[in-house]
Amino acid sequence: MEKELLEQGLNHNRRKFLSRLSLGIGSVALGSLLIPDLFSGKKEAEDSLMRALPHFAPKAKRIIYLFQNGAPSQLETFDYKPLLRTNFGQELPDSIRMGQRLTGMTAGQSSFPLVGSYFDFNQYGQSRAWISSLFPHIASVVDDLCIVKSMHTEAINHDPALTFFQTGAQVGNRPSMGAWLSYGLGSENENLPAFCVLLSRGKGNGQGVYSKLWSNGFLDAKHQGVQFSNSEDPVLYLSDPNGMTRDQRRKMLDQLAAMNDLNYREFNDPQITTKVQQYEMAFRMQTAVPEITDVTKEPDSVVKLYGPDCLVPGTYAANCLLARKLSENGVRFVQLYHQGWDAHDNLPNQMIGQAKDVDQASAALITDLKQRGLLDETLVIWGGEFGRTNYCQGKIAPENYGRDHHPRAFSIFMAGGGVKSGMVYGETDDFGYNITENPVHVHDFQATVMHLMGIDHEKLTYKHLGRRYRLTDVHGHVVKDLIA
Amino acid sequence: MSRFSRSISWLENLLFFWCGLTLILLIGGESLAVPAWLQVAGRLHPLILHFPIVLLIMAVVLLWLGEDQWEKMGRIILLIGANFAGITVVAGLILATEDYEGEALSWHKWLGVLSLGFSVLIYFFIKKLQNSLRLIGSLLAIMLLLTGHFGANLTHGEDFLLAPLLTKEVKTVALEDAEVFRDLVQPIFETKCISCHKEGKIKGELRMDHLEGIQKGGKSGPFILAGNPDQSLLIQRIHLPLENEEHMPPKNKLQLTDDELDILRFWVASGASFEQKVLELSQEEPLFQLASNRFSTEKAYTFEAADSDQIEKLNNFFRKVKPVFPGSPALEVAYFGSSTFDPNALSDLKKVKDQVVKINLNRMPLEEVDLSFLSDFQNLEEIQLNFTGITSAHLKGLSKIKSLRSLAVSGNPLGESGMEELKNLTQVKRLYLWQSGLSADAKNGLKKSLPNTQIDFGFDDQGIIYPLNPPKIDFEEVMFKEKAEVKLSHPIRTVEIRYTLDGSEPDSIRSPVYSQPIALTKTAQIRAKAFAQGWIGSEESKTLLFKEGLKPLSYKLANEPHNRYKAKGATSLFDGVKGKANHTSGDWLGFTDSPMEIEIFLENNQKPKSVELSLLLHEGAYIFPPESVEIWTGSAGKWSKVEIPAPIPPTKIEEVRFGLLAYSLPEGSIDQLRVRLKPIASLPKWHPGAGAKGWVFVDEIVLY
Repeated sequence: MEKELLEQGLNHNRRKFLSRLSLGIGSVALGSLLIPDLFSGKKEAEDSLMRALPHFAPKAKRIIYLFQNGAPSQLETFDYKPLLRTNFGQELPDSIRMGQRLTGMTAGQSSFPLVGSYFDFNQYGQSRAWISSLFPHIASVVDDLCIVKSMHTEAINHDPALTFFQTGAQVGNRPSMGAWLSYGLGSENENLPAFCVLLSRGKGNGQGVYSKLWSNGFLDAKHQGVQFSNSEDPVLYLSDPNGMTRDQRRKMLDQLAAMNDLNYREFNDPQITTKVQQYEMAFRMQTAVPEITDVTKEPDSVVKLYGPDCLVPGTYAANCLLARKLSENGVRFVQLYHQGWDAHDNLPNQMIGQAKDVDQASAALITDLKQRGLLDETLVIWGGEFGRTNYCQGKIAPENYGRDHHPRAFSIFMAGGGVKSGMVYGETDDFGYNITENPVHVHDFQATVMHLMGIDHEKLTYKHLGRRYRLTDVHGHVVKDLIA
Repeated sequence: MSRFSRSISWLENLLFFWCGLTLILLIGGESLAVPAWLQVAGRLHPLILHFPIVLLIMAVVLLWLGEDQWEKMGRIILLIGANFAGITVVAGLILATEDYEGEALSWHKWLGVLSLGFSVLIYFFIKKLQNSLRLIGSLLAIMLLLTGHFGANLTHGEDFLLAPLLTKEVKTVALEDAEVFRDLVQPIFETKCISCHKEGKIKGELRMDHLEGIQKGGKSGPFILAGNPDQSLLIQRIHLPLENEEHMPPKNKLQLTDDELDILRFWVASGASFEQKVLELSQEEPLFQLASNRFSTEKAYTFEAADSDQIEKLNNFFRKVKPVFPGSPALEVAYFGSSTFDPNALSDLKKVKDQVVKINLNRMPLEEVDLSFLSDFQNLEEIQLNFTGITSAHLKGLSKIKSLRSLAVSGNPLGESGMEELKNLTQVKRLYLWQSGLSADAKNGLKKSLPNTQIDFGFDDQGIIYPLNPPKIDFEEVMFKEKAEVKLSHPIRTVEIRYTLDGSEPDSIRSPVYSQPIALTKTAQIRAKAFAQGWIGSEESKTLLFKEGLKPLSYKLANEPHNRYKAKGATSLFDGVKGKANHTSGDWLGFTDSPMEIEIFLENNQKPKSVELSLLLHEGAYIFPPESVEIWTGSAGKWSKVEIPAPIPPTKIEEVRFGLLAYSLPEGSIDQLRVRLKPIASLPKWHPGAGAKGWVFVDEIVLY
């Protein structure tokens, strides 16, 4: 027995050990074949996410969202309700209102007299969609539009409603739609941010826009919307100070990157790499942005298409033109806001002014994308944060009235990017107050937009504070009827 | 008898017990009424089955070794394993009375029973089988594995084992190829119906595995009445409540989804055709809607994917080469940033010429670039060449790309000769030709030559006339020392800018045309308008530029300016800094209750020829020109008043702007000058603030 133990011990010599070790190494090598990126040193999490997106072939590559901030009235735009004219001044029946809560602005009102549109409606195009006389240009492209008359939302005041539309939640701490898309799909063009924001303001009663609407929320800061201003410097802090040459800037960035790299090696904080990448993108933006904001390279007829206002920086028309240029250059999400739709009084007058601002340029954007063959891959969205009441706020006259906020039914339209064209979806009752057919909730809308971009809205999530968040929270269904 | 041999014989006895039980269950299984507690025992099957597999295979291996010692141990393990096999078979047979049926079940059942039988046989006849022990042992092992495999198929579904190898074979059906019956209806039958309605298992005398069967129907006659879903047995049965005996598929089977219910219903309603293609349905039909959601609109590409490292190498900041979506072999290429465009790098794309389906070269300068290499890209479907400066010569060769579906060449000077090239592109389905220099005749000709192509000529600006925007005036400072350079510009390239410097209104005929920066050597008002063919002339834009004047010895204000608009007192009037167009900017001296009166002391040799007063005008803010202006010159204590006209009062409210009052001074030596501006005492009737006091705002007094 002892002899055997001794033999056993002698057998465990160095040669045996090494030859067995080779087997072990072989198995490691074999195993590593199953995990291709094990030794490549790439950041696994982000890469694998990016490799998997989009989840399926996208219909739209880019989005231009023409947000009509302040909520344009659906009853003076796309939801034709002749009954409201015939029943002018009559009380809104309780059977229609069904206990709908009111804003502080009409809560004290003792009566709710119905009031019809001051503007006439006509049917246009092959779709025979009704559009008010305020929007002759939009009416001329009606067969490219997909009008949704059955939108509804949960909020009744501007800020929560806007925030809800843009971030999927009424409280303002979540990433905006553009930030989610930037996170999910990145930028097509690495020389420009994936998410750009353009602001303009009409003469109508305005409501504020706040940077939280284009916030990155808990996502990486690089997904935040970059605001383009109408000043000499469209992107603030982008141009070099006087006297600094491009070479000097390059050298400075190289030095900075070297120092940041030292820091990165010490702390391994990915934020440092992000920062370096952002500096580099800004450097490339210094040539890319002037190329895009220069309108002099546009042919004259573009000015006639969008209207001469498009040459006045800061107008809605100029922003629409800029949006087309940004989008054409691969910016994933261009978000416009046009303020001034909050017509609590003097509505017909205010609507005339606002419509004049946006009608031609909105239609022009669609035509312009179309004639370049880009409309198929660009989704254009036009609409506000909620609708307006069918009853009058304040003094009532057929040609001068006001409308309060109404979340239960309102209209938006989309065009291009894989939505059906020449379509009118959803219906409201004869009072234009409740949806009677095919309701589309804001979360459904968001899910549909994500779907068009090739994203399953339930799968694009981000873990924050122990919970996985997504744009549609725990709701939303893709409205497949809208998809071509 | 030792305890060991007692246990062995006890186990051997038990073996007979299991075999007997198995026999009973096999014979009477169909009519077995399983009490709940026994059902629990049956459900232990998936747990216990692992023991006999391991133990029996272990026994087979030990017996295989053939050595005496091993064989003994093998026999004991075989005995224990056979017992477990017995328990497993019994439990399995009990479980089988629950909702299991089908081919896999019978294979599993009989192989399981056979394995039990084999193991028992080997155990008892081990001595007699000595010669063929290895062979029979191997047979047992194979049977065990097969039993396990069929069992796994039962719980995890058929082809569970090979699924990872098979999935790649699954073909996605493209919408354009899809047929209603073959690709929508039949798959439902196959997954949900056929297992009971097929050759060998024709329940209800209905066969759904071939067309005749479906058309013929079953025991109750035809089960599909084309166009009449409510009367069709198929539709009736699938819509019955789940509890109903007639409900199909039976309660314990996989049920139809809502979409599948709809598909079957709409299919029957639309005539239950067996040949119709999905695209032949009208777009409004609900069946089309359902179908279009199910089939990919993507084309299935059959070509090989390019090497991913190769693709990676083609990407840089200005060129993106990416699969159309993850996993697709098809690539799309996009170029960004015209100033960094390198035409030589285009040929890199040849490395992926078979994979590129889309290429976007919009706005890249391609005038001098040879695009003929594109004709080798045989899978290219879409080319975007908007505003690239290409001409008809560049289009040669595109007709060789048979797969080309969409071509965007808007904004290029193709002209009539380009049309000849375009006519050859019969394969193209969509053509974008906005701003391509085509005449109306050429457009019509092209439409006729390409009847199957959707051509977008884009926006036509004929007959649309708008006023131009006013030109932009650029300069360094409003107040300049010796000379100033003024630049005029307009965002529209074709405009003509005309301007005047003498204060007259510019017109489109006599005023000089702006061609190069204007050099100013004295104070001037620049007024400019833009004109262009096809446009209404613009509103004017104007601005005042001041030349710096003489520096007086000293000066003194007679009255303090208004408390809120004091600037830096009188010094502000001679500091050479022009105020911004905003009276609150801190550069302006404002007067309303008392006139602005200033005395200026001059050196003898200064001899100013004129005095100019720079004002701010903004009627809306009650800021007007003065009601009256008095200028006195003093020489050796002797004052004389200069004869000057009164300022012209405004007649309407205008935007905020600069104003200028300029007066010549008499010749001769002047050592003192007094200027007195009286604010308007009562605003005119047309003004909203009629009757109120007006304001005068001054920021500079310039002497020349």
